[in-house]
Parts: sequence; structure tokens; C-alpha cells
Amino acid sequence: MREWFRRIYREYFRSDPIQIGLVGILVVLGLILGLSILYLVGKRLFELGLSYWGRDFIRLVLGMGGVLSVVFGNALLLVWVERKVAGHMQFRIGPKEVGPYGLLQSVADAIKLMGKELITPRYVDRPLYLLAPVLIFLPALVTMVVIPFDQHLQVRDISVAVVLILAFGSLTPLSVFMAGWGSVNKYSLLGGMRSISQEIAYEIPMVLSVIPVVMLAGSLSLREIVEAQRIPYILLQPVAFLVYFISAVAETNRTPFDLPEAESELVAGYHVEYSGMRFALFFLAEYTNLFIVCALATTFFLGGYRGPWFPGWVWFFAKTYLLIFVMMWFRWTFPRVRFDQLLNFSWKFLIPLAMINLLVTAGVVKL
Amino acid sequence: MVAERVVKDLQALGVDLEEVPYERRGYCFDGRVQREGILGVAEAFDQHGYFIEDVLCVDFVNELELVYHFNHWEDPRRFSIRVRVKPSDPEVPSISSVYPGAGWHEREIHEFFGVRFKGHPNLAFLFLHPEIEAYPLRKGHVPIPEEDRKVLEGRQPEGEEESFWINMGPQHPSTHGVLRLLLKMRGEFIEEIEPILGYMHRMQEKMAEVRTYIQYYPNTARLDYVGPLAFSMCFVGALERCCGVEVPERAQMIRLITLELNRIASHLLWLGTYLLDLGAATPYFFAFDDREAILDILEGLTGSRLTYCYYRIGGVYEDLNDGFLQKVEEFIGRMRKRLKDYDELVTGNAIFIGRTRGVGVLPKEMARRFGVTGPNLRASGVGYDVRISEPYAGYRIFGPEIAVRGGCDCYDRYLVRLDEIRRSLDLLEKAIRRVPEGPSRAERIPKKPPEGDVYFATESPRGEVGIYIVSDGSDRPYRLKWRSPSFSNFVSFTELGRGMLIADAVATLGSLDLVVPEMDR
Repeated sequence: MREWFRRIYREYFRSDPIQIGLVGILVVLGLILGLSILYLVGKRLFELGLSYWGRDFIRLVLGMGGVLSVVFGNALLLVWVERKVAGHMQFRIGPKEVGPYGLLQSVADAIKLMGKELITPRYVDRPLYLLAPVLIFLPALVTMVVIPFDQHLQVRDISVAVVLILAFGSLTPLSVFMAGWGSVNKYSLLGGMRSISQEIAYEIPMVLSVIPVVMLAGSLSLREIVEAQRIPYILLQPVAFLVYFISAVAETNRTPFDLPEAESELVAGYHVEYSGMRFALFFLAEYTNLFIVCALATTFFLGGYRGPWFPGWVWFFAKTYLLIFVMMWFRWTFPRVRFDQLLNFSWKFLIPLAMINLLVTAGVVKL
Repeated sequence: MVAERVVKDLQALGVDLEEVPYERRGYCFDGRVQREGILGVAEAFDQHGYFIEDVLCVDFVNELELVYHFNHWEDPRRFSIRVRVKPSDPEVPSISSVYPGAGWHEREIHEFFGVRFKGHPNLAFLFLHPEIEAYPLRKGHVPIPEEDRKVLEGRQPEGEEESFWINMGPQHPSTHGVLRLLLKMRGEFIEEIEPILGYMHRMQEKMAEVRTYIQYYPNTARLDYVGPLAFSMCFVGALERCCGVEVPERAQMIRLITLELNRIASHLLWLGTYLLDLGAATPYFFAFDDREAILDILEGLTGSRLTYCYYRIGGVYEDLNDGFLQKVEEFIGRMRKRLKDYDELVTGNAIFIGRTRGVGVLPKEMARRFGVTGPNLRASGVGYDVRISEPYAGYRIFGPEIAVRGGCDCYDRYLVRLDEIRRSLDLLEKAIRRVPEGPSRAERIPKKPPEGDVYFATESPRGEVGIYIVSDGSDRPYRLKWRSPSFSNFVSFTELGRGMLIADAVATLGSLDLVVPEMDR
């Protein structure tokens, strides 16, 4: 075990001075931040007993821990689910060796990926190349903070949560493009460029399909949107839901819209030059994004945590994973669309449709 | 008929033409022409709508003989035109301006024999590694002269502003490991395609020259591992033709059944991998599941699953075993049901249609100039099939119905292959009820073929496989040349793919159904 850690240390850190620097700076900043918060909060606690600030701080720490565990647990689970679903759709069994029903397969894979050598090609643009896998993860984490998993199971209820989500969501193509550009590989570059135009094209219908929901609920806070849904908005806004869901598939780069990483055309697209844990970070971000778009669809259209008999979080996860299953179903059924078809579909069909839907909704609400 | 008109034209051009018995030689007209006349001859054939089948070279030590095979879709009587040149001055006018497909065969001849083609745009290495020292297919050691080496090394790919070269393959997922294309790209559009072949080149034709016919025979199945039986059939059939061996009817029918099973298996493999190229992973497993059933049946009969060695000169190795026909019948029922699944999963899929409809349009005219055959040609509206035009094996007794579609695009190539599976199933159903009794192998087989040359063609799942054997009366072929259907189909892509999106190029390349080992030989 010690040998193993030593090897990882050698391979991961020694090989990349910039990475050491980056991690070092992050650790120092984190320490300063954490210590000053602890100092301030401790002072307040000392003064006031367990006041409002104290409760909030504990909630924040617990929440971040919870978010991280949801992110990692979800990715491990989804990798397994995806392989099982694919297997059963293809007359196969899927993973079955590691653990009962192959449940631990993704854990084994994660450990394997951690143990792999990190290869940095010689001519890459180092800052961009090294930063991209870290950055792609950031929007996923931030978005997770505002999602209401249950009535009170939410890290932070921000009044402009919808805006926050959309703003951070549009950071993803940036890091994908950084990876594509920084890899100095023609296939990566094509993948990165495809990613930019795709995400821009599908960002717009996504926003346009969320606005009617906001108008109906009269709030930008996610919890209030859920609370406003006496009937799930999917019944009031079926068109918006469809537009949102299709855009979500495109935003998460999944088949039939997986053009940035189109295996049979661009080999692996933007992450063709990444290996080991850096590749795993892209992978992790992909599954986290998948979870987030489905969780948001649940929140916006399916009534979030609302539902009879069972506790809210059961409903929330059930609805979210149902949508994720549908996305997996797409992936293992459809071929991939072509690039011009993809853009045409968004600009010539989805956006006008969402616009009309928005106008109709506005009219009805105003009346 | 077209052939008579062409004969008149050729005689006017000074071609020394002679009618030969088809049953013994595999072609109907044998012509000789001076090297200056070949371009005119090609133009005459072009005017009458002939397609280029093959161009090959034979080294007779004191002379090099170039053989051009022309054939016609409606009037399939093969012309064999010969040009002889001295090895000291091996220069022949190129016919690539008339038949661009022939240009690629010329390129191959240039690197293997050192025949220089005047007016050929690019005579760089195609199959061979640049370190090669001598022309490999010449009899004896003939080193490559310096000035020829310069031609062979060709020009280096250079980028201009706004365009760049990209390597597709040999490790690219959709070239399946052995095909390399240099693409000149402008954004996502392809401007130029420069194929670099030879990653699977095993010098099959040289191997044949140093082995006896029987020793070489197992190699035939290694040429095209997806549809090996058509190649075995071709080799065996050529020898039967020149030796005049009469094959018993039972053996003929067994050959038909195995050939058709193999055709279905090959089309299934294509179906799976093609949809994988388009990004759909699931049909791959459906297709492989069905293919597995065929492999099991064939394994029970021939003893191997991939590279069969089942046919023999004058018949087949072993007679049918118990239950074989019943297994085939069960398979026909199963496959019919599964074809409905394919239709539901793939044929009507809007994304699939969007990706393939109107993509990679291969017009009839272009197919003719490149010598495209097989399902690719039949999707361009031409009902040319060697099983009908020159029936061999059991197809003499009853031929298949040909599936023809006129869309010329990737979608119709897909539909034609699915139709062919259906037609093959019908044919199999007829055949298994009419397997005659009798011996499964001819009694007397000559040890050596007589002196002379012979051509034999079969319809592989990818198109017309041809073999041209020159025998000097010994137990080894003096020269053996394969006409590879994938090679002719592939070279059309160099023109087809120009101006395409890279995604369309993947879709088109897949739809041509290339098997690279057969292309490289």
C-alpha cells in the first residue's frame, strides 16, 4: 500500500510542477479561508452560543460534504447503471464479477484509474491542459448547492438560483474548449470547437424553456418553484419540458448529440489526450452533469420532492433517476446526428418552438 | 449486342482480336495491342459503357505483359486486352484519364513491377514500405532505379493557410485498425484524400508463386476473413475451369448453401459495424448474435469458424453431416423474425435516415469508371451480379433474385444489403429442399493445370472477386492475381469523399463495406 501511494505521488505530482503549484495554491487558499471562517465563527459562537451564524456554518459544512458524497456516489452508481442498462439492452449481462451484481465494478475502475500513469504530451499548452479537467468540475459542484433534494434538504436556498445555475452551466463549454485547444491535437480541437457551437446553440432553448416555469411560479428560487407546483408543470408546460429535455441531452453531450467526443469520427474528441485520473475527472463531470440536468428537470417540471406517501427525497431521487434512465435509453437506441443537423435542429426548430411557447405562456399568465 | 459493336471498333483501332472459348479461359475475347494504342482502346470501351474490371501485369522475364480486363453490365462478355513491353523500356500510356479506377491499379503495378505509366498524376507508394529495395513481383532481383524511387516517394503533404492534414487511421476507430487515410481538411470539410494502404499487406500473390496450388489454397480464406468462402470458391473454380473438372451436382448445391450462409454472415457483420460507425452501439450486438448462429452451423460442417478450408478441386471436403440442413432451416426461421427487429430498430429511425439519405451519392457513371461492383453497385441501380451473369456452383441450377435500388446513397446501400439477406434466405430455403443425392467430390482430378491462363469470377458479399492465374504447366502458378472488390470499391471513395464533412465521410466509408486484408492482399 505504501509503495502504491508513493508511486502515485511520484507519478502524479513529480511529473507536473505546474500541477504541484496549482494544488499547493489551492490548498493554501483553502486553509486560509477555512481557518479564518473557523476563527470568525468560533468567535461568534463564543459570543452568542449556537446562534443563527453557527447553525448556518454547520449546515454549510455538512452540505458541502453531502454534495461531494452525492457527486461521487452518483458517478459510481451511474457508471454501473449505464453498463447494466446497456448490457441488458444488448443481450448481455454487463458487469458481474466485482461484488454482488458487479456493483463494485465502478469502484474498482476508479481505483484503477487513480493508479494509472498520467501522461502529459510534450507539446501541450500546459496551463490550459492541466486546468481544464479541474475547471470542468466546478460548475457541477456549484449547481449542486442550490438543488432542493427535500423540503429542508438543501445546502443553500438562493433567491436567484435559476440564474446562478444557468450562468455556471455555461462554464462547461469553456473548460471543454480549454481541453480541446490545450491538447494541441487536431481531433481535440475539432471536438472543442464542436462543443462551443453546440453548447451555445442549446443553451438558448434551455433558457427559453425555463422562463415559462419561472413566470408560472413567480420566483427564481428553486424551492419556491417546487412549492408552487400543486400540479407538476409538465402538465401545464409539456412543450417546455420537451425542449428542456432535448437541450439537456445536448448539453450533457450524450448520444444522439455526443458530437464533441464522437468516437467514430473524432476518436474521443476533446479528451483524446487525457489519461488516468484527469480522464476520470471528465468522466465524473459528465455523470454529474447528467445527474444535475435531470435533477433540474425534476425540480422545474416534475414537482421536485413533492409526492404522496413517501418522504420527499425518495420522490426526488426516483424522478431524477427515471429521467436518467430515459437518457440512457436514448443513448443505446439512437445513432449520432450530424453536426449541421444538430445545429439546424436547435436554431430552426427548438428555439422558435420555445419562443412561441414562451409568448403563449406570457399571454395566459398576464390574463 | 454491345460486344460485337466494340469488336468492330477495336479492329478499326488495330487490335489483334481473337475469340476464345469462355468455358476454358473465363473470358470471351483476347486482344493484343501496341502500347501506343491502349489509350484509344480504353476510350472505345468507355464509349460503349464498359467498366474496368482489373489491370494486372505478368513478368515473362524477357517481356512484361499488361492485361486489362473490361466487362459490361448488360452484356457480360469479358475482354482481355494485352500490351507487351520490354523490361528495358517499361513505359505505357496511363488510362487513368479515362478510367480513374484503372489509375489505382496502375499505381499498384508501378510499385510491384516498375512499369511506368505516362501521364499518371500520382505514382507514389500505395502498398509497399518505402524501404523496399527491389520490385517484389518481378522474376529475379530487379532493384528500383534512383529516378523511379523519387517518383515512388511522391510529394510530401503540405498544408496551406486555413487547411490542415489530418491522419485518419490506422488506429482510428472507424477505419477498424488497418486503413490509413490522409485527409486535407478545411474546418470539418475534406478537401483531398490520400490513402496509404498496405498495413495488412502480406504479399499474397508472391506467396502463391512459391507454393503449389494445394499449399496456397488455405491462404485464399485469409484474404477476406468476413466472407472467405467466395475467395475459396474463386480459386477452386478457376482450377476446375482450366483443368475441365466436372463437379458433381451435390457438391455444387452444398457450395451454394455455404456461400449464401457466408454472405448473410458477412452482411450481418457489416450491419453491426456500420451502425457502430454511426454511433449506435446496440444493433452491433443484435447482428453479432445472429452471425454467431451462422458460424455455429458452418463450424459443424467445415470445422472452422472464420477461415474455412472446405472446398476442394472437384467438390467439397466432407459431405453434409446429419442435421445440417435442419439447422439451416431453423436458422432461416429465426433470421426472418430478426429482420423485423432490424427494421424496427434501424430502418425507420429518423436520425439514421438523416445521416444516410442523400449522403455519399455514387452515380452509375462513376461506379463504372472505378469498377465498383457488388451491393454498392446494385444500390446505384445496376442489376449486375456475377451469380447471374456468370453462374458458378449451384447458381447454375437456380440463380438468386437480385436486389436493386436506385438511390445511389448510403441508405440504399443499407437497404440493398438487408434485401440481399432476405433473398439469400429465400434461396437457401429453395436449396435445402433440392440437395441431390450422389457423390460430393469428383473422382479424377489432374495433378497440374495445363499451360495457359484462366480467369474466374465469383460474387463475394462485397462484389466481384476475380482470379487470374497464369500457369506454365508446373504445379505452382506462374502468376496469380486477385481482383479485389474492396479495392475497386474503396478507390471510388477518393473521389466520392471530396468536399464531404468528416461525419459523412465516416458514414460513406462504412457503407462501402471494406475489408482491408482483401484490399491489401
